[in-house]
Amino acid sequence: MSNQNETNLRKELRKQAIKRNWKLFNQSKLGMIGLYIVIIFLFLALLQPFLFITGIWNRAIYDPVVGYDEIRQNLTVVACPKEFPTEKYETAADCPARDEVNIKTLYLAKDVEVGDTYEAYIQPAPPSSKHLLGTDSLGRDVFSQIMEGSQVAFVLGLLSATLGVGISTLLGTIAAFFGGRIDRYLMRQSDLILMLPSLPLLFIISAFAELKVWHLAVVLGVLGGLGGSVITIKSQALQVKVKPFVDSARITGGSNMKIMFSHVLPNVAPLALLFMVFSVTGAIASESVLSFLGLLNIDMSWGIMIYLAQTDGFIFSGIRYWWLILPAGLAVTLLAGGFYLVGRGLDDVFNPRLRKR
Amino acid sequence: MAEYIFKRTYQMTIVFFLFLIFSYLLFNAIPGNAFSNLLLNPSLPPDAYEKVIETYGLDKPILERLQLYIVNFFKGDFGYSYKNFPKTPIELIAERLPRTLMLFSLVNIVAFYTGFFIGKVLAWRRGSKSETWITVTSVFSYTVFYPWFALMMLWIFGYKLGWLPIGKFLYPEKWYDAPFDSDVVFASMIKFTIIVTVLQFIAYLLTRGIESLNTRKNIRFGSLIVIFIGSYFYWNSGSALIKKPYAADIAFHMILPVMVVTIVAFAGTALLTRTTMMEVLKEDYILTARAKGISQKRIRDRHAARTALLPVVTSFIFTIVTIIDGSVLTEQIFSWPGMGQLLLQSVLEEDIPVAMATFSFVGIFALIAHLVADISYSYLDPRIRIKSQG
Repeated sequence: MSNQNETNLRKELRKQAIKRNWKLFNQSKLGMIGLYIVIIFLFLALLQPFLFITGIWNRAIYDPVVGYDEIRQNLTVVACPKEFPTEKYETAADCPARDEVNIKTLYLAKDVEVGDTYEAYIQPAPPSSKHLLGTDSLGRDVFSQIMEGSQVAFVLGLLSATLGVGISTLLGTIAAFFGGRIDRYLMRQSDLILMLPSLPLLFIISAFAELKVWHLAVVLGVLGGLGGSVITIKSQALQVKVKPFVDSARITGGSNMKIMFSHVLPNVAPLALLFMVFSVTGAIASESVLSFLGLLNIDMSWGIMIYLAQTDGFIFSGIRYWWLILPAGLAVTLLAGGFYLVGRGLDDVFNPRLRKR
Repeated sequence: MAEYIFKRTYQMTIVFFLFLIFSYLLFNAIPGNAFSNLLLNPSLPPDAYEKVIETYGLDKPILERLQLYIVNFFKGDFGYSYKNFPKTPIELIAERLPRTLMLFSLVNIVAFYTGFFIGKVLAWRRGSKSETWITVTSVFSYTVFYPWFALMMLWIFGYKLGWLPIGKFLYPEKWYDAPFDSDVVFASMIKFTIIVTVLQFIAYLLTRGIESLNTRKNIRFGSLIVIFIGSYFYWNSGSALIKKPYAADIAFHMILPVMVVTIVAFAGTALLTRTTMMEVLKEDYILTARAKGISQKRIRDRHAARTALLPVVTSFIFTIVTIIDGSVLTEQIFSWPGMGQLLLQSVLEEDIPVAMATFSFVGIFALIAHLVADISYSYLDPRIRIKSQG
């Protein structure tokens, strides 16, 4: 009977603590903005499979990798002048304009003349009601690609962060608890990982292994988990280890394992959560950089979208093909920034010295 | 303090050997053994075949190969580059190292100073409107997707406005009849930057003890002017005069990369300085200083900022590695032919000896930067400094 009372009491206490922390988190404006950003992207990531399953989107058209939509448009045939600026065009880049086609490029169609209308496929197509963010140069829907990219980002970020934080919390606690030779070894190992330039290392790994999303998540997680976070978590665990309740647990006959898992670990957990949120930012950025350089074996992600825009030569087109360049870059920035802001909000909650006076 | 430095150096040596072993095992794990890939070439003459086996010890068990690698590493012998055959990896690195060092050191210094200054101001203006805006900007530049941002800046400044060059580190047409190659100019530019930095640092150290803030500011400003005049005379005299137009060409190509990396790299330092400053501002001695009626600026610069500097320096040790990462990307995007580009190219072309040598060099680079930052930290932190004296 008393046992059940105790569980109920604990549940109540936990509920109260969550409520209190939520209130504190709510106070930091930037943290809430970050949370909203993350929720919006999570919604986008979940929306795509929903649209496919319910049949609102046809897979043949909207699939981010193999979809294709033929978009025809009537273009006016013009002859581009040889010298610029003229009345109509300021520089050579302005001719032909968006709804025009240069007659010189139509050498296969014999019977067109300047002033005619000519029906042609246009890829990349500008945003329309059918394709909210237009299509890329292969006729694939950019909005669908953004959604696919956010799925990749969430899977990768959360998987690697969970793995990394799990490893570093365990190792940090072990180093603090047992000390001695284990501690010394773990610290040198952290030094090594901290010192390793991670991007060159990832280049080398990707050179000989066909990295898929979850491979990369494991690599990033292990690297993050063995690195500097072990040192920080160890110092936190050292502070907890000398608290009176650990001593009393030992006196009442708690084993090393029991003390470690049920007394020390819960007190290190807030810090670990903080690390987790921050390492999501890093994981998303690493994935985008690697796929931007074309080193990953992934079908579609935000980095690959920018990579394609660059290799297809649209990156210097500026405003004219904005839907190929801006959405992907902004999505990486916003989601990474969102997680970072959430982390800062949590920092305010767990670190009382930062709160407002 | 000597004890601390010794201990740290000893630890770093162990880490260094761990690094060598780790990097060898990493390359050894490449499927099909990257070294024996070379042997598949049917037109390889038999003596060259023998030599490859001998150089990398391919017929020996892994432990002996590892030993051979470490011995060869200290001899500076990495074999030959597969792609640029007669050249050795060391020659390739020697050609590219000055270019990376120049960019890297300049960016580091500029980013650290800007970041620390902005973070200081941010924490001091807590709650004002400008604080929110600067914070949002810093968070944006901290989390922005770097290659994308760099390409956008290239588009704006290099293409649309046309103010700055797109990529490469010199205009080849200007160098047709140059009496020396670019590395000589780079070397003298690095020397110049180091001398200027050291002089500025000495001026800073000498004026540290001056009590009046105004005098101190004036003296520092004066020293800056003296350095400017001195550098003007340096570049207009003797052998430097011939190098001047070429150095100016390189400097012109450096503006955009340095600017972009600084915008991205300063934010981390700024945000951290803000956090630590805010923690420090709640300490009792700040309250005491306020009660004593010391001027606000003085409290900010001498009481709060000095204490807040310590964790920032610590984190700066960690960001060095991030900046090396960033410089790899920077070199790729701005086609700056440095170490990072060499590494990426050699990895993509599976030029294993070069990749191995470059990776080791980048690692050593990071290690030394770590050690230097550690030692300067031990000098800055009175707890370590005084403990070892007494």
